[in-house]
Amino acid sequence: MRRVVVTGIGLVTALGATVKETWEAMLAGKDGISEITSFDTSRYKVHRACEVKKLNFNGHIITKKPFTVYDCLLASAREAMEDSGLDGYEPLRRDRVGVSIGTLAGELSLFERRLRDHHLNKADGFDIEVALSYPPMTLSTQLAEEFRMEGPNIILINACSSGNHAISWAFDAIREGKVDAMIVGGSDVVPQTEFTHFHNLKSLAPERCQPFDKNRQGLVVGAGAGVLILESLEQARKRDARMYAEVKGYGLSSDGYHMTAPHPSGEGPVRAMEVALASAGLSYKDIDYISAHGTGTPLNDKMETLALQTVFREMAQDIPCSSVKSMIGHTMGAASAIESIVCCMAIKEGAIPPTINYETEDPECNLDCVPNQARECKTNYALNNSFAFGGNNASVVFGRVHLPVERGSVI
Amino acid sequence: MTQPNGSGRADVRKRVAITGIGIVSPLGIGRQEFWTNLIEGRSGIAPIASIDVTSYPCKLAAEVKGFNPADYLGDKGLKYLTKGTKFLTSAIKMALEDARLNTNGHFPEHAGVIIGSALGNYSQTTDYTYNIFKLGPEKLLPMASFDVALNSSINFASVFFKLKGPSRTISSGFTSSMDAIGNAFNLIRSGRDNLLIAGGVEQLSLDSYLIFLLQGLLSGSNNSGPELSRPFGRHRNGFVLGEGGYVVILEELESALSRGAKIYGEVIGYGTTYIGSNRFSLEEKISRVQRVMELALEDGSLSGESLDLIYANGNSSKLLDMIEARAIKGLSGDASKKALVTSVKPLAGECYGAAGALQVVSCVLAMENSLVPPIANLEDPDPECNLNLVTKKALQIDIRSAMVNSLDPAGNGSCLVLKNSSQ
Repeated sequence: MRRVVVTGIGLVTALGATVKETWEAMLAGKDGISEITSFDTSRYKVHRACEVKKLNFNGHIITKKPFTVYDCLLASAREAMEDSGLDGYEPLRRDRVGVSIGTLAGELSLFERRLRDHHLNKADGFDIEVALSYPPMTLSTQLAEEFRMEGPNIILINACSSGNHAISWAFDAIREGKVDAMIVGGSDVVPQTEFTHFHNLKSLAPERCQPFDKNRQGLVVGAGAGVLILESLEQARKRDARMYAEVKGYGLSSDGYHMTAPHPSGEGPVRAMEVALASAGLSYKDIDYISAHGTGTPLNDKMETLALQTVFREMAQDIPCSSVKSMIGHTMGAASAIESIVCCMAIKEGAIPPTINYETEDPECNLDCVPNQARECKTNYALNNSFAFGGNNASVVFGRVHLPVERGSVI
Repeated sequence: MTQPNGSGRADVRKRVAITGIGIVSPLGIGRQEFWTNLIEGRSGIAPIASIDVTSYPCKLAAEVKGFNPADYLGDKGLKYLTKGTKFLTSAIKMALEDARLNTNGHFPEHAGVIIGSALGNYSQTTDYTYNIFKLGPEKLLPMASFDVALNSSINFASVFFKLKGPSRTISSGFTSSMDAIGNAFNLIRSGRDNLLIAGGVEQLSLDSYLIFLLQGLLSGSNNSGPELSRPFGRHRNGFVLGEGGYVVILEELESALSRGAKIYGEVIGYGTTYIGSNRFSLEEKISRVQRVMELALEDGSLSGESLDLIYANGNSSKLLDMIEARAIKGLSGDASKKALVTSVKPLAGECYGAAGALQVVSCVLAMENSLVPPIANLEDPDPECNLNLVTKKALQIDIRSAMVNSLDPAGNGSCLVLKNSSQ
């Protein structure tokens, strides 16, 4: 079994167009929320979301909105690829580099825009260019074309845990030696369709996202993309690549309970976290930081706390456990990819981003959610949780890269 | 059956058995009806009834008929479910019963579900979007979005059967369900999971019809002649659409044997890679499709010469059938001289994301019955597709190992290798 490391990262969020911008803003505790501009919200009770304000294509700043899912994905993929230096590695076997991407809804917003802007009937709104951009697979094949990679192309559609699913698919493929590297990530914008869905389920907070706060009112929808270059340790060492972290293991589970509400006991998330720890060969005591699913809905945060208390027992209150969704919103299919990058940065930079908008303690969320202030903290192992609608749970464990002692060239 | 999921950490290679099959298909509901119609060559293709295609040139498709979801799911709540969700959930129900898992306290508590779908609830998503503008967002009740997401059929199935294992939707175009079965196979082989429901689902809708029609992929589009699916035929001119839900139960072999399960066969290898780039020349595409098959054979430690049967992607596409035929021809040794080649699509239609699973269940039934169904409508094979094509009538042979191909002209090629464990 080969080891899998992260050798490049790229981020697009409401807080910034690069990893550096987003990370600095997160450590400063900034809120990316603003009035929604990509569609008219006058017929809704909620008017705010964490939309992406600009993209950075290798130094070239684009502010002309609206951005598509692929725009966000491409910008973060270019940053991650450049960061990794993978493209410049001469012996690279392009047929052994694949793409796995998670998304909630693909380019649904393009279809919306066409219907909306032209006041069309549904059948008239059927434009082949738009229709062809909707099947989510086009996201991964476009990336494969962009970077001339020829390995497998996989799209994972698992609601808000899509990013972690994409990472775990790639992790298995590299570990088993099927490929040497994967371009992995998630991307979503704020389609009006999804906004309406969450709005009408009364899942949205009107003003801001307050995970684990007693007065939390719901989630805030966000847009963004996160891309990681996963690579075999073997190849990363051969080409002397910078390594952010190692992917140590993952766990998947379902609640098998309800289409939208989580099982109140958190038993599904408990299984996902326990399998992830076992797969990483770690004990709960080894985890230094948890990137919470922490959506800010009353149900999720209470359930997640219970699940964390089950898995982390006496340490549940002591392990820093923050939700960056308080700052960048719930970026749906991109969320766990973005939060995986947060875990990598926590390991590499020795700092933990806060949960902002935290005011009132909730005895039902008795955690150290790193309230309002970022914290310096040495992190050897980080757990990234995503517990999506439909009870679709995926947890991934990241760790500091410990290189084996050299004995000849054996890794 | 109740052991929790493993971590997949140890370097193990478990064997993976197929222990159940569930089918909702234009060729019939359930494996018996499906197989009888397949062997007798009764086509599921007929004039399209579920959507209005008056103003469009292609009039035929393979639609699911005579299907009553209440037989499998009960009456309750059916009105909230999409056609695709009913196909999938009913097919899963059949597969669990076929595997004797849903009765006698053998409910697979830690089972998971991995399903491939290229378009999923595409038309219901766009209907919901349209209604936001037509009716206004405030008019849409929460239940209006109960089952409209691409992956909500799979979510519903995991809730309906109270599954506790992974629930995953793979959407890699035409290879979606092959990639789902391949992924499930990998997860059981590595010791991570013990029992997974794997397969594919697609539903015919005006949206999906138009996507393929406007790309000129359907037989009879662009004035290309009569509508007929005839894979590897000299005058083939595109595919005829299909739909359905096709599911297999994959189970770790030892635990399947220990509960006395019927073993249809084993999955022994899976390969996938990108074949569809327009950067690739014709020759490159052919060698890539060949490479996919070699990857799956290597993964299963099987030589191509051991193959008795190849269930081809063969969907009657002008270019893709030729690429596949030449790729098969290129397999090392005498693989292409020995293996029989067939396709189920002229009878069951090209159900894109669900097609891999359609072919896998067809192949498993062929292995079980030692009978290879012919390629329907194939009167005049293309000399460029010079393979051991099974035509006109079914051939009785023992099938020890078989390969199933799934190809996306703009995406992956994926391939699965099966072994008959009764041999």
